[in-house]
Amino acid sequence: MFDFDVIVIGAGPGGYPAAIRAAQLGKKTAIIEKEAFGGTCLNWGCIPTKTLIASAERFHHAAHSESFGVTAKNVAFDYAVMAARKNEIVKRLSGGVQGLLKSNGVELIAGAARFEGPNRLSVVQPDGTSRWLSAASIIIAAGSDAAMPGFLPKDKRVMDSRAFLDLKALPDRLLILGGGVIGCEFACMAAALGTQVTVVEMLEDIVMVLDRDVRRVLRKRMEALGVTLLTGAPLMDIAVKNGTVSGTYKDQTVTGDLLLVAVGRRPNTAALDLARAGVKIDERGTIPVDAQGRTNVASIFAVGDLVTGSIQLAHAATQQGEAAVEAAAGLKSHVEKLCPSCIFTSPEIGLAGLTEAKAQQLGLTVKTATFPFSALGKAMAAGETDGFVKWICDAASGQVLGAQAVGAHATELIAEAALAIRNELTVDEVGRTIHSHPTMSEAWMEAAHAFHNACIHLPKR
Amino acid sequence: MAQAVIFPKLGQTMEEGAIVKWLKKEGDAVAKGDILFEIETDKANLEVESFFEGVLLKIYVREGVTVPVNTVVGYVGGAGEKVPDQPPAAEAAPAPAAAAPEAPRASAAPAAPAAPAAPVAAPAPSPAPVPQAPAKPAALPAPAPAPAAKRLVISPRARALAQASCIDPSRVKGTGPNGRIVEKDVRAFLGAANYDALRITPAAKRLAAEKAVDILSVRGSGDGGRIMVEDIERALRRKPVTLSRMRQIIARRLVESKQTIPHFYVTVKADLTDLMAFRADLKAKGLSYSINDFVLEAVILSLEEFPVVNSVTDGVTVSWRGDVDLGMAVSVDNGLVVPVIRAAQTLTLAELNAQTKALAEKARTGKLLPDEMAGSTFTVSNMGMMNVDQFTAIINPGEAGILAVSSGRQVPAVVNGEIKIRTMMAMTLSADHRIVDGAVGAQFVNAIRAKLENIELWKALV
Repeated sequence: MFDFDVIVIGAGPGGYPAAIRAAQLGKKTAIIEKEAFGGTCLNWGCIPTKTLIASAERFHHAAHSESFGVTAKNVAFDYAVMAARKNEIVKRLSGGVQGLLKSNGVELIAGAARFEGPNRLSVVQPDGTSRWLSAASIIIAAGSDAAMPGFLPKDKRVMDSRAFLDLKALPDRLLILGGGVIGCEFACMAAALGTQVTVVEMLEDIVMVLDRDVRRVLRKRMEALGVTLLTGAPLMDIAVKNGTVSGTYKDQTVTGDLLLVAVGRRPNTAALDLARAGVKIDERGTIPVDAQGRTNVASIFAVGDLVTGSIQLAHAATQQGEAAVEAAAGLKSHVEKLCPSCIFTSPEIGLAGLTEAKAQQLGLTVKTATFPFSALGKAMAAGETDGFVKWICDAASGQVLGAQAVGAHATELIAEAALAIRNELTVDEVGRTIHSHPTMSEAWMEAAHAFHNACIHLPKR
Repeated sequence: MAQAVIFPKLGQTMEEGAIVKWLKKEGDAVAKGDILFEIETDKANLEVESFFEGVLLKIYVREGVTVPVNTVVGYVGGAGEKVPDQPPAAEAAPAPAAAAPEAPRASAAPAAPAAPAAPVAAPAPSPAPVPQAPAKPAALPAPAPAPAAKRLVISPRARALAQASCIDPSRVKGTGPNGRIVEKDVRAFLGAANYDALRITPAAKRLAAEKAVDILSVRGSGDGGRIMVEDIERALRRKPVTLSRMRQIIARRLVESKQTIPHFYVTVKADLTDLMAFRADLKAKGLSYSINDFVLEAVILSLEEFPVVNSVTDGVTVSWRGDVDLGMAVSVDNGLVVPVIRAAQTLTLAELNAQTKALAEKARTGKLLPDEMAGSTFTVSNMGMMNVDQFTAIINPGEAGILAVSSGRQVPAVVNGEIKIRTMMAMTLSADHRIVDGAVGAQFVNAIRAKLENIELWKALV
């Protein structure tokens, strides 16, 4: 007999929903968390960044609303208050997660877990004592940490996103290594609060997962916000001296008060002693799993950032966690293939399914259909005319295979696109679905019409 | 003056072939030696070069259409030069392989277009241009329906409903006069099949309608059994696909062999341990031989000792083939080719090695000419690289046997009354029992084995 039916390692967005689902299915469940309930997402990722971004947007709107007939004088911000508000929200949510787990009868165990066998774990608890546990099924949801490559100087001015969120004040000049999603989100937030930001990205452009036309809008807006974007070459010779961090981009010296490192994330698999359970990992330290999240060991599942090929998003981990627990309970389940992504830059970006570039790589014949917000009444009224929505469709059938939105509320807008793609709608169903007027969502309907070159609200081409 | 591009005859036995791909379009500039098109014969895909310089003025034979050799497939000439709308008749005299074709004779009658020329009910009329009186395409009768397809008696409304519902109307039982299917029948069929409970995504339904997939026969993999696009695609993959010409020839010849030649099989295992050590020694000296080289040489020598295995019979007579023209089965993309080593008994081991390498390379790159793959007298099929314990091969028609060579394996073997780890390799002879008796087959494979195990022999031959 095992101590538990299910043990979940890690209480982030992959782990805690899995534990709750297991309890709902009548399983005796425990969850082990070494640091903070809610994991990276809630404590050092999605939630705190969005809280700060909301503050930054408030400030930006307050300071830039003259054209709306609103003038505010002496608009100022207090970053310490912003940070305090963020901490308060994080605390409330983390407490909420613990409450949810307890109300479902999940046993909460604090400490760092490691495997002792395929069904056996030891946990080093905060008081230093060890506790041994066994379970019929174990779900690994231990997440990831920011990667800090070895060539970086070890200095308090060189930090990852988590340390950056603990700052009590923003630097005057911020250098960001990495122009991916995380780098660009922090760049936009800091720039909106007056920090002079420089982003260095080795690849040819920022956020390369996006199609070129979407990146163009982001790039233009970030540059308008005052962000310097240096792409296509690495940041070399990074050094800290006299209270500044500097480096070389091509033959130019770039300097900042701080260097934020956002070059990707590393799976937290090393400390788990997976070999003792016989769980295979690949050369990057991530864990290969099947369509239900099962590792090569039948009783052990893995979900979230530390899974091979994972999209590394909170909501992806959540669904994987639920699928894994259901599989452990002997139910039919599968990890969903379609996972929308949201990027909280300024402007926001939403992405679901195939990009145009990916479709071409796969050799599919696709046709894209776009509609600009500048032709939309609601966008004009709200002063949010930058950006557009885009469908990537099978050229023959009009099936929507992918979508991207860039502009105000794009992260909300993408939900409709995800529903359409997952359910294999064609542009015809989308176009025939009545969309409320005046809303930003109308853009999806109009773009669907654009597939047939039949937009009502664009001049005839 | 415009020059005719002719479908070349690339082998003595070659009678027809198809252009699989044009590499130039009408209007493209063509230099001497440019690849004009690729052709597919029953043996291989080959590239055909232009002998002329100019512009590709006209293409008569589109991709995929099989035509007799020497057919005029297009013209190369000066830009804007006039060429006939329809191809002239095929050259009467067989041109030598890839020889410079001559211009069409002025008197040549224009041939019918590449389409069924006569209103016959042949299900697959040869699309080859047939020299006949000119006929306008519009005047041609519609191709006769395939004789197998029974004509469905169905009302237009019923057909439309079946189509809109993405079901196969031939499954519906008609209740109208003479069993005619009427709308009511389709509705009843849909009701009985619980059609309304069927769930399908819009894109999947559209694809099913376009490709005429009966969605009642498709199992849905989506939520609650909903039919998704990938389910329709899976159903489409079940539809028959015409085999490539190469596979069709392989299929025909294998069936012919198995049906007409009484195969019998005999297996021996050769101890390769000493030979592998010998080969390693040679390698250290800079001489690179493969195990296959030794196997082929052992086979050649044994065929000289057992002429009946290098013979052919029609059931009435038996003929010794004389030279050992050794076929060597080489696996290629989606098929198998058998290049032939001519008069292999006259080659030294080094020459055999060189020829084998060259032929295998040509086979892999699709450069073998048809004549290089015809007329073998015995074949060796070596799957040593494929990690197999043992297999049997099917005799090439026209031969008396084939040797199936498997992988060398380290196994416990008894040597002088002691168990040792030895590398053993299974070889199975398939022989035509009409002329090769069991005893002869056994002696033949044992001769091969004895040679492979006789290092003194190899020392003499290298």
